[in-house]
Amino acid sequence: MKLRASLLAFSVLCSFAIPAAHADSAKPYAGQTISVLLPPWGTLPKAMTDSFTAETGIKIDMQTQGWDQIHAKILTAMIANNAPADVTEVDWSWVGQFGAAGWYVPLQGKVSADVVKDVASSKIFTTDGNLIAMPYNNDFRVLIVNKAMFDKAGITSLPTTMDELWNDAVALKKSGVTYPIALPLSANEGTSTAWYLMTKAFGGDLFDAQLKPEFTTPDSAGYKALDWIVKAVKAGLIDPASTGLTDVQVQAFLSGGQAAIDLAGWAGNLTVYNDPTKSKVAGHVEAVLMPSATGHSRSFGLPEALGIPANAAHKDAALAFIDWWMKPATQIEAYTALGDLPTSTAALSSLSAAGKIPSGDVLLKQIPTVEPLFAQGTPEWYPQFSAGVSSAINEAAKGQLTVAQAIAQIAAQAQKAKSQ
Amino acid sequence: MTALSLPRRRARISGGDAGLGLLMALPIILLMGSLVFWPLVMTFWDSVHRVDPMRFGTPFVGLRNYLSLFSDSDVQSSAFNTIVYVVVAVVIETAGGVAAALLLNSLGRARKWVLAAVILPWALPPVVNSIIWLWIYNPSYGVLNGVLRALGVISQNHVWFNDRWSALLLIAVVHIWRMLPITAVIVLAGLQSIPQELYEAARIDGAGALSRFGRITLPLIGGSLAIAMTQSTVLAFNLFDEAWILNGSSGDTRTLLIQVYMSAFQDLHFSYGMALSVLVMFASLAVSLIYVIRGKAETSAE
Repeated sequence: MKLRASLLAFSVLCSFAIPAAHADSAKPYAGQTISVLLPPWGTLPKAMTDSFTAETGIKIDMQTQGWDQIHAKILTAMIANNAPADVTEVDWSWVGQFGAAGWYVPLQGKVSADVVKDVASSKIFTTDGNLIAMPYNNDFRVLIVNKAMFDKAGITSLPTTMDELWNDAVALKKSGVTYPIALPLSANEGTSTAWYLMTKAFGGDLFDAQLKPEFTTPDSAGYKALDWIVKAVKAGLIDPASTGLTDVQVQAFLSGGQAAIDLAGWAGNLTVYNDPTKSKVAGHVEAVLMPSATGHSRSFGLPEALGIPANAAHKDAALAFIDWWMKPATQIEAYTALGDLPTSTAALSSLSAAGKIPSGDVLLKQIPTVEPLFAQGTPEWYPQFSAGVSSAINEAAKGQLTVAQAIAQIAAQAQKAKSQ
Repeated sequence: MTALSLPRRRARISGGDAGLGLLMALPIILLMGSLVFWPLVMTFWDSVHRVDPMRFGTPFVGLRNYLSLFSDSDVQSSAFNTIVYVVVAVVIETAGGVAAALLLNSLGRARKWVLAAVILPWALPPVVNSIIWLWIYNPSYGVLNGVLRALGVISQNHVWFNDRWSALLLIAVVHIWRMLPITAVIVLAGLQSIPQELYEAARIDGAGALSRFGRITLPLIGGSLAIAMTQSTVLAFNLFDEAWILNGSSGDTRTLLIQVYMSAFQDLHFSYGMALSVLVMFASLAVSLIYVIRGKAETSAE
């Protein structure tokens, strides 16, 4: 009798204990706190992080820093053998450096193959066979314009060539827009990437297959692109104060109604430009296929990803966070909140089908033309080269270097970066 | 006997004194050794090796990093900018610091209040200082353009950092604004140690203000000036925050220390950056040494 009573008591206990054990296996990392280091456009709203915590039991310590500062923080922390965070931003341009240094946990085999397939830009984050990060922001460049300003200037068709773009900017200036084109010209990464985009718009590339510069002669696309920029500054089409402004800062010219053209626009920013709480020109901004000198529009991708430093304290919980962010539903929510264009093909198709992407038809036309900047993969010397590029463009825009001198300086930087 | 025992006693006393002295100096020796000299030795050691996290191993490369620096156009340009900052900063900080110290020294009870106000820029973090000046120089809404337009000096807003010389000067001004107070305080301490009787005697002898300054004040604050100029030089050589915040990594205002940062922490060429930092240190020490030797010579002459 006693034995039966004991068995009964044991079975009752088990009936409570088993679901609890199930719950634990569903939330194996419950109670852990992961630190996540991302730029402002990657900082998820609290409602989203709370939902992740409810789903996994993992708490998030969200840290926000400027893009450049994150790079510096990762470098200094990794050299000191400290983890900068459990999950960090990994930009496409850092892949060569971080991959060569072996600083990030390879994610192949850890992230589901189906997810990797769904996120096509993940191949940009593969170096030496290692997938070092999973992209969360499908950033690529596109021309963004304030259509109302174009209408006011009497421009009936949007530009498709670089000449048309120039003529439209002149017409906009005559109509009263003081500086029609928003373009960063400070010694920062955004200045370099704008020039890379324009090099493609002029029908060329930066390097050949052997990574030899293709921008050095006056008839090359890179040379023409820089010449176009410098002439636009001299013609008063670009604010000369842009020599001290980053890409994020010049975007305020468009959202503030001071400029009509975001020449190297971030595809995801269309949501921000059309958000009345963040923009004075909401409802008037739309995307246009990147103009070109050849009649064939081209753009390039600058995706940003989530990686796990090799010395992170909570690698498994960090991986759970990345898995969660790669879900189409999460990416759709992040797009709505932050304007980060989804990297998941499923999420992108869903948003497009629902008509939730401003100028979605233009973006979907531009996406097939998006190329990587380096077909061979981002080289480890890219940051050094790119810093040299932005510095030379900055000095050319200030009139301290001629276009020829700036191009020669960029070529010398490329040689120096590769030889070191 | 006396001749033999005296040196022994003197040696015993000296040994005791030396032991006590060493014991008292031990904390600073340990502190300086671990926080200054050991890192310095390690930095030099690494600078003659190839330390690059993107490459395997740290082979010995001798003076290759140092030799490469001399032909590096970025280093040459940033060295030029740094020399401009050093010359402008040291001259203005010294002249302005002495003038401010003389003014403060002539104040009575108000001195402590004025001194507290003067020291404020130095007490503020350099980044905060630089951000304030960034707003002042802003081409769209900056106070500088506003004042100059109001005075009729300029007719339209000027982008100050689009001209290399004005950019260098304006960055130097921010640094000077922050560092001049400390020069003034050091010189003020020197001024207050000068006996008033010397000035009274000079007055009786008919010496004018300029003569008293040149023949009494200047020689007697020589030591303080040497210290002030040394710190001005070293800190101007180490200028980073002001140039970085006001004009980023732009080549026309980039300093040697920004170049060190970019080589080491952006390009990941650590040993190259270390070699440059060693050279910067020796350059600033060499210039400072001139002031110290000069100051010591004047003190000895007194």
